[in-house]
Amino acid sequence: MSEQIRPNELKLFYCPKDRLRLTVSDRSYLTVKPAWASPLSHPNRYLALLNGKGEEIVMIDDLSQLAAESRAAIEHELHRRYLTATVTRIESAKVEFGATYWHVDTDRGERDFVTQSLQENVQWLGDRHLLLIDVDGNRFDIPDVSSLDEKSRKIVERIL
Amino acid sequence: MTGPPLVGVDLVSRRFRGPTKPDFALLRFVAFDCLGQWRLEGPRHTFTRPAAYWRGVILKQLEEAEEPQLPMPEQASGEIVRVLISLEADFASDGKFGRRTLEVTPDFVRVLEPDGHASIEVRLADIKSARNEPLVGGGRLELTAKSGEIIPLITYSLTLAAKFSEAARGIEQLAKGEPLMINLKQERLRCDKCNRLLPEKDGVCPACVNRGKTLLRVAKYLIPYKKQAVLLALLSIVTTALNLAPPLIQGELVDAVFTTKQNLSLLFWLIGGWVGVLALAAFIQILTGRLIAKLAGSIASDLRAAVYRAIEFLQLYFFDKKQVGAIASRVTSDTDRVWGFLVEGVPYFLINGLLLLGIVIFLFMTNTLLAACILAPIPIVVGISVVFWRPMSQMFHKVGQKWARFHTQLNESLSGIRVIKAFAKEDLEFNRFQQRNKELRESGIAADSKWYTIFGYLTFFTGLGVLINWAVGGYMVYSDVITLGEFWKVNALLGLVYGPLQWFAMVNNWFSRAMAGADRIFEVMDTEREAYGHSLPKHDIRGEVAFENVRFGYDKSNPVLKGLNFVAKPGEMIGLVGKSGAGKSTTINLICRFYEPDAGSIKIDGKDYREIALQDLREQIGIVLQEPFLFNGTIAENIAYGKQSASMQEIMDAAKAANAHNFILSKPDGYDTLVGEKGAKLSGGERQRVSIARAILHNPRILILDEATSSVDVETEKQIQEAIGRLVEGRTTFAIAHRLSTLRNADRLIVLDKGEIVEIGTHAELMEKQGVFYNLVQTQSAINEIIGVNL
Repeated sequence: MSEQIRPNELKLFYCPKDRLRLTVSDRSYLTVKPAWASPLSHPNRYLALLNGKGEEIVMIDDLSQLAAESRAAIEHELHRRYLTATVTRIESAKVEFGATYWHVDTDRGERDFVTQSLQENVQWLGDRHLLLIDVDGNRFDIPDVSSLDEKSRKIVERIL
Repeated sequence: MTGPPLVGVDLVSRRFRGPTKPDFALLRFVAFDCLGQWRLEGPRHTFTRPAAYWRGVILKQLEEAEEPQLPMPEQASGEIVRVLISLEADFASDGKFGRRTLEVTPDFVRVLEPDGHASIEVRLADIKSARNEPLVGGGRLELTAKSGEIIPLITYSLTLAAKFSEAARGIEQLAKGEPLMINLKQERLRCDKCNRLLPEKDGVCPACVNRGKTLLRVAKYLIPYKKQAVLLALLSIVTTALNLAPPLIQGELVDAVFTTKQNLSLLFWLIGGWVGVLALAAFIQILTGRLIAKLAGSIASDLRAAVYRAIEFLQLYFFDKKQVGAIASRVTSDTDRVWGFLVEGVPYFLINGLLLLGIVIFLFMTNTLLAACILAPIPIVVGISVVFWRPMSQMFHKVGQKWARFHTQLNESLSGIRVIKAFAKEDLEFNRFQQRNKELRESGIAADSKWYTIFGYLTFFTGLGVLINWAVGGYMVYSDVITLGEFWKVNALLGLVYGPLQWFAMVNNWFSRAMAGADRIFEVMDTEREAYGHSLPKHDIRGEVAFENVRFGYDKSNPVLKGLNFVAKPGEMIGLVGKSGAGKSTTINLICRFYEPDAGSIKIDGKDYREIALQDLREQIGIVLQEPFLFNGTIAENIAYGKQSASMQEIMDAAKAANAHNFILSKPDGYDTLVGEKGAKLSGGERQRVSIARAILHNPRILILDEATSSVDVETEKQIQEAIGRLVEGRTTFAIAHRLSTLRNADRLIVLDKGEIVEIGTHAELMEKQGVFYNLVQTQSAINEIIGVNL
């Protein structure tokens, strides 16, 4: 069915205020959960909308195809659902006693965290795309290491 | 106004800039009494005095008063409200990292913003349920109101997820009017001392391990070897002295023989002495080496034994929480670190430290000015090694990482070579290989280049010392301040000073790692053990097992069994039935006393089983598991595992009863066949029958069959069923089976649902009743029809 839905026909809105709703022509879904199909290698593309049971309602290839209001609503929901922080700056990173202590600045504010066994918990998703996973499983994304400032780059260079 | 009696008090102060006042503090009193936490609630209070003052006031009152009361500052108005749950989250309302606090009082659930005002307030009476919505990288606590409205409360990261799921359960319990039973133990995320984030929650801070104390504890393991330890220390001193001897001899040679061109006999005497020193030094080196090997080896082995023994007696929940690998690493790598430190670190520092001290003393005795000049570059050398040690070790660490990645890649492609060939992806894999290879090359080159650079600097400054000796010392010889022999002595000693200096910088890290390892070892040893009750009386079990209102939860707050009552008569076979999560396996865990009931009691022959010695109890219980675990060894050894003294005849009888005898005989080595690791060389059905034979020989009074017949073919199942039939005879048996039809032989069935007994009776009775069991059977036969299994 998803093939028949055109993205600009989708109407996404909050009703009641904290519940994302979707209306497509005559159908309405009361709770809609957005899920990126490939958040790391294809960020901002392929967004699935899931119904309350976790089944796909529709796949949106590109968010810009949505109407402005719907897009604002879905982006708000994504911000609430994906707590992955994007690192904008690495203040410091110390390797000590087998653990690495990070202090970073992210789009969500400053944060300290610890990573262990760098081999598993630091993933290079491309030549320049880096994902750090701390001891609790929290994620810190660096989409493009080369776009960081020089200090941060040097730290990455030194440790990884 | 006074509040509840206090047993402790804490004061929470939040300083912030308000819109109207430039700077003021909002104080929150948090008092702990025997019931929990309370706080002062009312309008905002501003205080002109710092929080420390109030803390002082309260603590003073606590000391003075016999029954201290919660003091009220005169400015405050309001009432004292009990805080049941207070939990800080790490995301602010705008989705950024920040702080908000979830607070639950007997009447309200609130979310407090950092400035102390409640942004969300919901009456407990209006709440229907609470749940944790999983998010990517965290979660959100949500309430469902009785009106059906969903109220998102607070967002938190994965670090706090466990706590907030407890909080959700707590809110539900309160909303339903049940007593609050949650586990909100404060886990330490950061080290108390240095505020460093801890690698493991509640774990050891590697930087702040009380190294002195830990070292002392490690040193206790020296006690059995104290003679050797003392000898080792003495030998180290002798080694130092012997190292100092050759330069002194050389000095004497120059002064007394070379310069004077006389005393040729002295030359031979001194050379003779030198040979003696050399031989003695070699001998002592051998002796020291052997002593160290013995001492460190023994201590490491003692430590390993102590950890392993401690682990064996740990309560099972310890194993539920931690992975086998993590536990095993305490026995292997942590003891290895301690060993490495003992065998390499300690002697190294002992000997080099003494040597250095000796040389410095000696240099100053020769000539103060010269000594001062020569030693001047030492701070530079030490400085360089301290400054560069960390980046250097990081670079080597990085090389290690790259090696590990390289290995993983290589391993993977070699073990997947069939797939690679089948998909004709050799080039792709080669590219991946090359990528790792290149990374490894680059990090290796970088590290080695840096290493040689630093080494170059070190060589230069080390060489400076010698140069200074030639310049300053040379001048002194020229002007007859010192003799040529003394100059030579100093020159020879210099060679000994600078070498060890370069390594002194890594002492601290080396030591810290070893002590952190030792601490993890001691942590296991200090963990509470199972109460074995060796002094309790033994009891020959007849076989009656009675559950009396047994309640239990792995997590005290989340009951899995809610008041179980039943009596199994001696020799009776009871089938336990229910969906997964109903509490079947838990019931069995309790019978084996892997866990003990939280409330109620389990009686064996009318006697509370906690009054029976644990080992005695377990020796009379036998288990046949779904995935039987065999130990690496022969079939015979495995059958005799529970009765080591069993004769070959007994073993064969047990195997016959288990329908295992014939298949065993068909193996070339018969009962001597090695089963492999975890019994891997036997088929599933064979393993099962060996484990039944093991249970038969063990001859338990109470038998537990946990899904003993699943995942085998029909013929094998028949054989196993037959074997089980013989096994259960005369023993009280508890059986769990997924295929309900296999429980047909059970005397009675207990149907569990969500931790409660919903039906109890024989197979026929329950089928006739057409209740829960009947439905389960119906569903199962429907499924079996679909997948085509014949029952």
